[in-house]
Amino acid sequence: MDLSRIDRRYIYLVIAIAIAVPLLLKVQLPVSVGPEVQKVYDEIDSLQSRDCVMISFDFEASSVAEIKPVAEAVIRHAFEKNLRIVGLALFSEGTAIGYNIISSLAEEYGKKYGEDYIYLGFRPQYVSAILGMGENIDQVYPLDYLNDDWKDFPPFSDVENYHDISLVVSIADGSLPTYWVEYAGSRYGQKIAAGITAVMATSYYPYTASGQLVGIIGGLKGAAEYENLLGYTGGGHRGMLAQSSGHLAIIALVILANVAALRKKR
Amino acid sequence: MANVALCSDPLSFSVYDTPSDGGGSVTISWQAPVESKSIPIGSFVIFRKMNEEVSWSYLASVKAENGLLEDRTAVDGVNYTYKIVSYASDGASEWVCPYQVASKAQWFDSDRLPVLVGVLVCLLALAGVALLHKKGKPFDIRPIRGLEAVDEAVGRATEMGKPVLFTPGWGGDIQRPTTIAALNILGHVASKTASYRCDLIFPTHDPVIMAAAEEVIHEAYIEAGEADRYKAENVFYTTSSQLGYAAAVDGVITRYKPAAIFLLGTFEGEALILAETGNSIGAMQVAGTDSTIQLSFFMVACDYTLIGEELFAASGYLTGDAKILSSVRAQDFMKILIVVVLLAGAILVTFGMVDFAGWIGKS
Amino acid sequence: MLSKKIPIAVCFLFGLFGLVQYFSPHPAAVSAYSTVLDWVQIIFAFTLLVGVVSLLQIQLKHVSRKEKYWGYSIVTIVGILVMAVFGFAGGTERGTAFMWVFDNMQVPMQSTVFAMLAFFVATAAYRGFRLRNVEAGILLAAAIIIMLGRIPIGEMISARIPETAEWILNVPSMSAKRAVLIGIGLGSITTALRVILGIERSYLGRN
Repeated sequence: MDLSRIDRRYIYLVIAIAIAVPLLLKVQLPVSVGPEVQKVYDEIDSLQSRDCVMISFDFEASSVAEIKPVAEAVIRHAFEKNLRIVGLALFSEGTAIGYNIISSLAEEYGKKYGEDYIYLGFRPQYVSAILGMGENIDQVYPLDYLNDDWKDFPPFSDVENYHDISLVVSIADGSLPTYWVEYAGSRYGQKIAAGITAVMATSYYPYTASGQLVGIIGGLKGAAEYENLLGYTGGGHRGMLAQSSGHLAIIALVILANVAALRKKR
Repeated sequence: MANVALCSDPLSFSVYDTPSDGGGSVTISWQAPVESKSIPIGSFVIFRKMNEEVSWSYLASVKAENGLLEDRTAVDGVNYTYKIVSYASDGASEWVCPYQVASKAQWFDSDRLPVLVGVLVCLLALAGVALLHKKGKPFDIRPIRGLEAVDEAVGRATEMGKPVLFTPGWGGDIQRPTTIAALNILGHVASKTASYRCDLIFPTHDPVIMAAAEEVIHEAYIEAGEADRYKAENVFYTTSSQLGYAAAVDGVITRYKPAAIFLLGTFEGEALILAETGNSIGAMQVAGTDSTIQLSFFMVACDYTLIGEELFAASGYLTGDAKILSSVRAQDFMKILIVVVLLAGAILVTFGMVDFAGWIGKS
Repeated sequence: MLSKKIPIAVCFLFGLFGLVQYFSPHPAAVSAYSTVLDWVQIIFAFTLLVGVVSLLQIQLKHVSRKEKYWGYSIVTIVGILVMAVFGFAGGTERGTAFMWVFDNMQVPMQSTVFAMLAFFVATAAYRGFRLRNVEAGILLAAAIIIMLGRIPIGEMISARIPETAEWILNVPSMSAKRAVLIGIGLGSITTALRVILGIERSYLGRN
């Protein structure tokens, strides 16, 4: 059997076992906090009580399993710091998911809609929406997700544009944080942080190094690091064993492929 | 220019029309003096009055060390006077700005001057290279293997009697230059499939791209004299959802088994899903994207990969249009200029001259 | 002739407007820009309708002609119609039929497609990371360090692994990425300028 050109279905089987089995086990691995996650945490931690943060749910249903722990960690931190949250979605599929995450955590923390958070819902054409909010959020979102005039909520009536937003956190599974940087960051000087899927995380390192992004929370590992900083165990920690065994399986496969290729050469 | 009024007080205190803004804003700036018995430092309260009004109205309470407050309630053209009052247990001290200031909308945002300089340099480079070309200085463009492979890929599909699939990825819309660059290559691929009488399938996630692609492919078929072979149903919208799009394109790939696949445009997480599916059916794949992370996936799974700027050069490369080729050459000049600016910036910052780097960085 | 010139003129005017207004904070420029952005959203909403209608037309054609794989077309048509009816009739809030289908069908199906990435990464890595020469060896070593550095087990083996992974991402990888990004940025700028100036016309389908 030529292992260097193995049938791909065997590889799929190895990966399926390496990821599925650890999900059934309840083993927790220790996680230390990296600099990128620490930067996001510090930024949110440095905000004053009642400052306003905008959390944009820029992901689709497909990445919920990975991105939800990231969103939860950021929202928990914001509620613990008594910040006002303006939630919105730039992908239609993220709209309901974002609302459910934010409202269920609000219930847990005893936060009230219209006092501590509002949810603006979805707007298509994200570039136009991001740019438009730089001029006037009310113009892009005249009504919130629940079809109320959100300007009628006194704690949010003074929120006009990015000037009144201390930080935007884009929870994304694609390139939306880039658009936030390009249009809200460079054009309106808005501070932006990103919570993203692991597959996209490395794309954003140049942006954090240049200061265009405050920091990034990358995938389950990033979520686990943030959970560490907040002192609780959530979805990030639960996924660490599966992610670890998945990585190890790929490393083992790569080594196997090279050994097989070497033996074939000889 | 913004109006500036400097106030001569023990507390360094200035009030001015906020520069580079759309009006409706006056900036109050102060420097808190070193704490002493004579000048108590606590919380400051800022007051404002309009024109010749007698009474002061409260504006804001600020921390002494903050140093800057933007009064965004100012009305353009109205003169305001400001004062700072510092309250302490033994009394209050106040500083009044002796000048009146009115806010005004600015037409030019001076913070964006470096960007303007950059745009002008680009335009100059474009014009300069076009002029050089007119004077008869010819230039070549290096071979781009991915583009040279277009004929081979379409030819292979024709020989095998299978279709060609072209998709521009999920990450872009029609506003993105990458999509425009992909549509340019699509025009070339379409004229090849038209003349080789081979089917071309174009699934996309964006209805605007679909409309533009229909036009590009249809025109290519008309130009090739094969208008009747154009199949409108082969250019179709799938869904705006990323993985829905990936599933739809994967479905087309596994069912119709195209012999050649062009993955050109802005790709995100779906890149590897599409490229590996194409690889699994043994299609010849030409990919190109501006998403750096996806480039590595394409390199592993595809036969040819256009790296970033090669995608943008494709239009000139394929059409041989002198003006477009000039702009590609201008790109090279700008790249040299960027390298020079980077080196100069690195040297200046290393020697502590940070103003220049700050000037570029602020926009 | 006019059909060539009008789109190019419109493109030039709006391109120039987009460029000029970027440098102006004046309310007149901002308000004009907001209006253009509103237009963009309205145009997109209409094109979405065009997209859905076109998709339905094509799928219906497949079914009526009983073309190969026409069964899939029925699934697509039923999917579109059912979700539209649920959405318009019962709304899209929590507890509605729309959300039930969304949570129990769309989310798992899309997650499945997304999860395929893990399998494809494995097969791509299996084929791609081969020790062919020194450069490929460096790439292979870097990949292993990064994969170990992104999981807690890497740190359990040695604290140096995550540090080295971070260094690889922040120094060599980032410099290469920035070089590519600069090329892409310049390519984007010149393509945009070519479109605005009417030099680039092939996207209009007319050379």
